[in-house]
Amino acid sequence: MEHTSVVVASKPTHLDSSSEGRQMICLDSVCKEFDGARKVTALDGINLRIARGEMVSIVGPSGSGKSTLLNLIGTLSSPSSGSIQIDGQVIDSLSDAALTRLRRDKIGFIFQFFNLLLSLNCLENVGLPLHLRGYPARKARERARELLELVSLGHRLNHLPDELSGGERQRVAIARALAYNPPILLADEPTGNLDSVTGEGILALICDLHHRFGSTVVLVTHDEGVARIASRRITLRDACIVEDEHT
Amino acid sequence: MILLRLISWQYVRKHRLRSLLTTIGIVLGVAIFVGMHAAGASVLSALSTTIDRIAGKTQLQITSGESGFPEDVLDRVQSLREVAVAAPVIEAVVQSGLRREGNMLILGVDMTGDRSLREYDLEAGDQDIVDDPLVFLAQPDSLIVTRDFAQRNGFVVGSKLAMETMEGERRFTIRGIMRPAGLGAAFGGNLGVMDIYVAQKFLGRGQRFDRIDVRLKDEYSLNQGQAALSQALGAGFEVNVPAARNRQFESLLHVYSFMVNLTSLFALFVGLFLIHNTFAIAVTQRRSEIGILRALGASRRQVFTLFLTESAIAGFAGSAIGIVLGRFIAKAMAGLIGNVMQAHYGIAERAHEIDFGTGLIAAAIAMGMITSILATLLPARSAALIDPARAVQRGSNQAFSSGKSSGRSIAAALSALLAVVCVFLGHSRVVFYAGYLSFVLAALLLAPTLSIWLSRLARPLLTAVRPFEGSLAADSLIQAPRRTSGTVAALMLSVGLVVSLGGLSSSTFQSVLEWVDSFLNSDLLVLASEDGTNRNFHFPDSLTPSLASLDGIADVQRMRSNKVTVKGASVLLVAIDMDKALARTSGHVVAGDLQQIYRLAAEGKGVIISENCGLLQKLSMGDTVEIPSPSGLVRLPVVGIVTDYLNQSGTIFADYEAVYQPFWKDRTVDMYKVYLKPNTSAESVKEQIQTRFSQQRRMFVMLNREVKARVMSNTRQWLGLSYIQIAVAMIVAALGIANTLLVSVTDRRREFAIPEIRLA
Repeated sequence: MEHTSVVVASKPTHLDSSSEGRQMICLDSVCKEFDGARKVTALDGINLRIARGEMVSIVGPSGSGKSTLLNLIGTLSSPSSGSIQIDGQVIDSLSDAALTRLRRDKIGFIFQFFNLLLSLNCLENVGLPLHLRGYPARKARERARELLELVSLGHRLNHLPDELSGGERQRVAIARALAYNPPILLADEPTGNLDSVTGEGILALICDLHHRFGSTVVLVTHDEGVARIASRRITLRDACIVEDEHT
Repeated sequence: MILLRLISWQYVRKHRLRSLLTTIGIVLGVAIFVGMHAAGASVLSALSTTIDRIAGKTQLQITSGESGFPEDVLDRVQSLREVAVAAPVIEAVVQSGLRREGNMLILGVDMTGDRSLREYDLEAGDQDIVDDPLVFLAQPDSLIVTRDFAQRNGFVVGSKLAMETMEGERRFTIRGIMRPAGLGAAFGGNLGVMDIYVAQKFLGRGQRFDRIDVRLKDEYSLNQGQAALSQALGAGFEVNVPAARNRQFESLLHVYSFMVNLTSLFALFVGLFLIHNTFAIAVTQRRSEIGILRALGASRRQVFTLFLTESAIAGFAGSAIGIVLGRFIAKAMAGLIGNVMQAHYGIAERAHEIDFGTGLIAAAIAMGMITSILATLLPARSAALIDPARAVQRGSNQAFSSGKSSGRSIAAALSALLAVVCVFLGHSRVVFYAGYLSFVLAALLLAPTLSIWLSRLARPLLTAVRPFEGSLAADSLIQAPRRTSGTVAALMLSVGLVVSLGGLSSSTFQSVLEWVDSFLNSDLLVLASEDGTNRNFHFPDSLTPSLASLDGIADVQRMRSNKVTVKGASVLLVAIDMDKALARTSGHVVAGDLQQIYRLAAEGKGVIISENCGLLQKLSMGDTVEIPSPSGLVRLPVVGIVTDYLNQSGTIFADYEAVYQPFWKDRTVDMYKVYLKPNTSAESVKEQIQTRFSQQRRMFVMLNREVKARVMSNTRQWLGLSYIQIAVAMIVAALGIANTLLVSVTDRRREFAIPEIRLA
């Protein structure tokens, strides 16, 4: 496999208007600082473009800012400075309600610890984003069933998360992330809590879904093996992007 | 709705006991509110029904306090051109003497005129007794009863009913049975109608009527009739529509309503803290769940609404259970209110059906839901503002607030300052209460900080007693003030209420005890009615010398009590023998010289008022009191003020001979204070009085210790609501502790598991 390694400078990448239109995620000079007893800079002057349908992995040591970057892209938190665009929409000036709508309509999350609601069964967990969108209960249930069958869990519809294996739980979480076909899929250490065999199965599923639905996938991991499934790898160190390579 | 089922309901199912404990505050508050109000409203409604049914076609009623008025007043009323019908009435509630029947309303009427006002719809008996009054008059033992009363006691026409009258036991013959409608349904059916002249003897009224019921000629309006009657009779008479009789009872119930509202508000207030505490804890426990929802696309508004809806449902459920519980409380309280009203005011009316109006139910539900929603506003806001990025991180679900807030400290300081200004510089009652509330608010705002300080202070002691458990307990309090501060605040309020109410009840009880020792200091008390507060029965004054002449009796003092209207309020006029009272009294004088005030009052140069009368009616030494009497307005100055607990609205003491007789022209007595010669046995004199008089007349003789026991028992009954309040405070305090411990156990499972592992 041929690797193209690029060391990225901390300045905006200038793209022409046609390439701008193809971008799904754009970050310009984004900084994120956390106030506390001591001010911590989690991200410092990040410039990043991720094209529509691209699959990108973000790697780096612990504390390098990977998850913070993912949270900013997922609009779960806002930058201290700089600008972020999601699918052409500048999110800096959006109200919380508009941000919520954007997140609900365009972004699906896959977490390391699955973050399923333990009191809900698989169908209910997968149907939850649809309920939040105001789907009728029956329609949401049908869609959840389809998605669970898609991730090969058609036989576990009414099982509670505690009754599933780690891999199965992550499959439920993936099905939930795909509930309304979001154009962006954000995965934070999706195999971090799984054994290697199960992890490979989950990665294969993510790749398969990426190819079938054409979603833009951003995958955070500290595992080089996992990062290798993406066509582009971004390396973070000390709050900065130090490497952006296409594989 | 689906979110409620998926998210909220699951949480409630998982924490059933805590959810139940949380709603109990609302349940208690609503139950007390509904129960007490329904009981009061039902007793009032029963009274109103009785008044309506007895009134019949009566448009106006003429009264002159409780003493009634001489018979000649009837001629003056009948002579007015506006009057179509004027019928005299004697009305009294007496004990029926029948087991399980309790009280009975006796209506003494003059059949010659009364049929124009009231319909006597007889279903059995001789219609002649109604059609021809002479038949009724010719048989003075005639009594008409209702069908319900007859059926319950197996009476038919011709049955005999024995009743205690002022002339001893008399047997009445049932000569008519009324259908259960109209008049026949008054007083829950416990009604007996007899001839008015028989009633006068029966109740010891002499030649007096209690009331005259009037129907006006068609061409005169109610206002014209009222004006003409008032003008003709003078200021000593009251001319009112029948419904006005309800007002006295309403004003009495007002005192009860105030205490009821206070108790239910307190329970709801503490319930508010419990709910706030539970939801505040729930928000911290459910951070992860809220974070997931937010990440999946739930808006802040959705999260906020979700918590408020949960709270509203808890409030609704608590209210619904409270209403059901309130039904039981209402039934119990209707009896208690009836007893208290009868024991303290001589008004006997019982609710036969509990009236739950839709308005009351709606108010109760609204109260429960609003309390619950208010309690949840801040936790719901916190939930909505949770940072989803941090919330979805593993291990972030135990993030408690520090318990310190500069905003809260500033607000507490301002409230405390306002309290000091209001309490020490304000002169009105409103300002005082505002200051009191500010003080409570300041204490509540400081509760979290105080909890931390106290926990830090307690840590060394706890650690010394139980090194491991003690330090864990203290650290838990210090690290999670939010978990305990709500309960600390609730406990603070509860303990404060228990201490203040307990102190108030105790001091009231002590004051009444002192008053009983000084005022009711006679060796014996001779009463016309069993409880001393029912003023329907009277002795003739002619009994006085007979009583005084008995062996061993040194002195007999007469007492005649009547309710009169002074400055629009119903106060008790007590006519006594002032000269004799001076020799025996050791009462506490608030204003004036003991010797001088009794001397002036004995000469008819003034009246003595009770301290509460002075405060409530704004009367002080030298002020002129205007008392309506059948002979017109009596104007006398206040010559002394004493401590007295005979009546809540106040008491006016006047001399029996110098004031009461000339103006009321009523030679009756309802109580004698009997003082014995030295070395005379009270028991033997009591027996002597009973032997001498009990065959001739209705009479109750009580020893001093029996009187005191009765008064103190009535006082305890009156303080009953305070005891209920104390009980409620203690229940909610216990709930608060249970709630906090439950939350603490749930939150600290991991912490508790460590020592278990170590021990294993």
